[in-house]
Amino acid sequence: MKKFVLGAGLALAAGAAQAADDVTLQLKWVTQAQFAGYYVAQEKGFYEEEDLNVTIKPGGPDIAPEQVIAGGGADVIVTWMAAGLAARERGVPLVNIAQPFKSGGLQLTCLKETGISSPEDFAGKTLGVWFFGNEYPFYAWMAKLGLPTEGGEDGVEVLKQAFNVDPLLQKQADCISVMTYNEYGQVLDAGISEDELVTFNYLEQGVGMMEDGLYVMEENLSDDAFKEKMVRFVRASMKGWKYAEENPDEAAEIVVDNDETGAQTLDHQKYMMSEVAKLTAGSNGALAPADYEQTVATLLSAVSEDNPAITKEPEGMAYTLEITDEALQ
Amino acid sequence: MMAVGAALAFWLATWALNVALARSRWRKARAVRIAVPVIFGLAVLVLWQGLVRGLEVSPVILPAPSDIAVTFANSTETLWEDFVQTVLKGALSGYLIGCGVAFVTAILIDRSAFLTAGLLPIGNFVAALPIVGIAPILVSWFGFDWHSKAAVVVAMVFFPVLVNVVQGLKETEAMQRDLMRTYAASYWQTMLKLRLPAAMPFVFNGLKIATTLALIGAIVAEYFGSPVKGMGFRISTGVGRLAIDLVWAEIAVAALVGTAFYGIVAMIEKFVTFWHPSQRVG
Repeated sequence: MKKFVLGAGLALAAGAAQAADDVTLQLKWVTQAQFAGYYVAQEKGFYEEEDLNVTIKPGGPDIAPEQVIAGGGADVIVTWMAAGLAARERGVPLVNIAQPFKSGGLQLTCLKETGISSPEDFAGKTLGVWFFGNEYPFYAWMAKLGLPTEGGEDGVEVLKQAFNVDPLLQKQADCISVMTYNEYGQVLDAGISEDELVTFNYLEQGVGMMEDGLYVMEENLSDDAFKEKMVRFVRASMKGWKYAEENPDEAAEIVVDNDETGAQTLDHQKYMMSEVAKLTAGSNGALAPADYEQTVATLLSAVSEDNPAITKEPEGMAYTLEITDEALQ
Repeated sequence: MMAVGAALAFWLATWALNVALARSRWRKARAVRIAVPVIFGLAVLVLWQGLVRGLEVSPVILPAPSDIAVTFANSTETLWEDFVQTVLKGALSGYLIGCGVAFVTAILIDRSAFLTAGLLPIGNFVAALPIVGIAPILVSWFGFDWHSKAAVVVAMVFFPVLVNVVQGLKETEAMQRDLMRTYAASYWQTMLKLRLPAAMPFVFNGLKIATTLALIGAIVAEYFGSPVKGMGFRISTGVGRLAIDLVWAEIAVAALVGTAFYGIVAMIEKFVTFWHPSQRVG
């Protein structure tokens, strides 16, 4: 009898080891320290401990994670809340299950010599903005300031900025979009010192939106097995994030090792990891409903043709605390 | 599944109709020659509609043609603004400049053997540069507005037109040129009366290739920085906004414009080279 129990136990363990649950994660952007937590969890075996077999798919300038998950190409995606809510209104019911980023890294940075010292000085200036779903906070901000975005003396001229900082260096734009952990460092690397710059953080301007949350399709959440899988995934991912925060240099190395394109340099990733750690520091992975409310309120205050993120209060379950509640017990 | 079945049935029926038309004794009639491709196009649209609806494909993956048509009708203002920005300002001005410069360069090359050796390789080099490489550079030189898009188009159309014109100018035979000399014709008289007309089929070949290149160049160049309008801007940002129906509407405009542009140049060709065997009927 004892032998039988042992045998059954072994068989169960072996069976479980073989049948690790597959999870596919679609990132919002290319492999970089912005996603260090997931790569660290992978590399350090945190996913394995939870009996998960995780595939991390890097994104890129032409990859919309919302579209990938709608097409069944991923189980869970990393995206910004504004884009997630916009997708929800367009018939891709995404649900926020965790929010590893407490604060946001999106900023508008301007050259001091352009005479900009506060948002009141934007009128008549040219501003570089990232599109592809990243433009929602910008248009919300302009609406809040009452600035038209069609150019002219009283308005601002908007440029679709590529994902680099050239327009600022070449003075084609007075201000450009940067992430604290990436492009801002590139501006500094280009030889412009911090006191030549004026930088506005979207969160501090009251138009911040939750960045880099984890989203899944609503219909999957009615499946208990999927939910349980996500609980384990979030738990392991947060473990990865906290490890990355404490060991930024090691995390940067892991990221560079995982970058199949070979485009990332260790120095830049170390910088990025140290900045990203500031954004994840305040979060245990659980979304604060107040942050959600603020994002929705900001978006709704700025509904226009340029900013079609959402036109009404999100219907149904736009976020759930169920997964993190269970994962973080 | 009803929709899928109906669409497939429609597809087969139109297929049979087209085969019957192509085998019928009216197959050479103008009406039939137009009807066959129109029926084929219609069948593709119906099949698309039926499959998307029947299989419940998410509209953010592939919208149905009817959704695209509705978006098209609702956003004519945006589409027109983008058309003006990309086609009229970017593509057309770049096309005219690029083809004009290529034409003048071809004549200079014709006058000087030195230039033939020097300029053609440079033209070849520029033509070999990938658009994704030169577009960001030209954006940083000429700014975000349509000027940089026109510059990309110039770089793209220059070489095909140049090569064709240079080749076309070699088309006359020694006997024909000797005849002009016996008439005491000058270089320019020979050029205008004999060599340019003879070169026209080649010139138009280059001009027709350049029409599609110009449109592609202007649209793709907008991926690398643009003001917040233009067909390339809308296509490259629409996916991120999940406004896929608007992206398809822009693609429809691009297809229509490209076909019309090509068609207009082909019509001018028919008028100019009426004497050429390829244009003669019968």
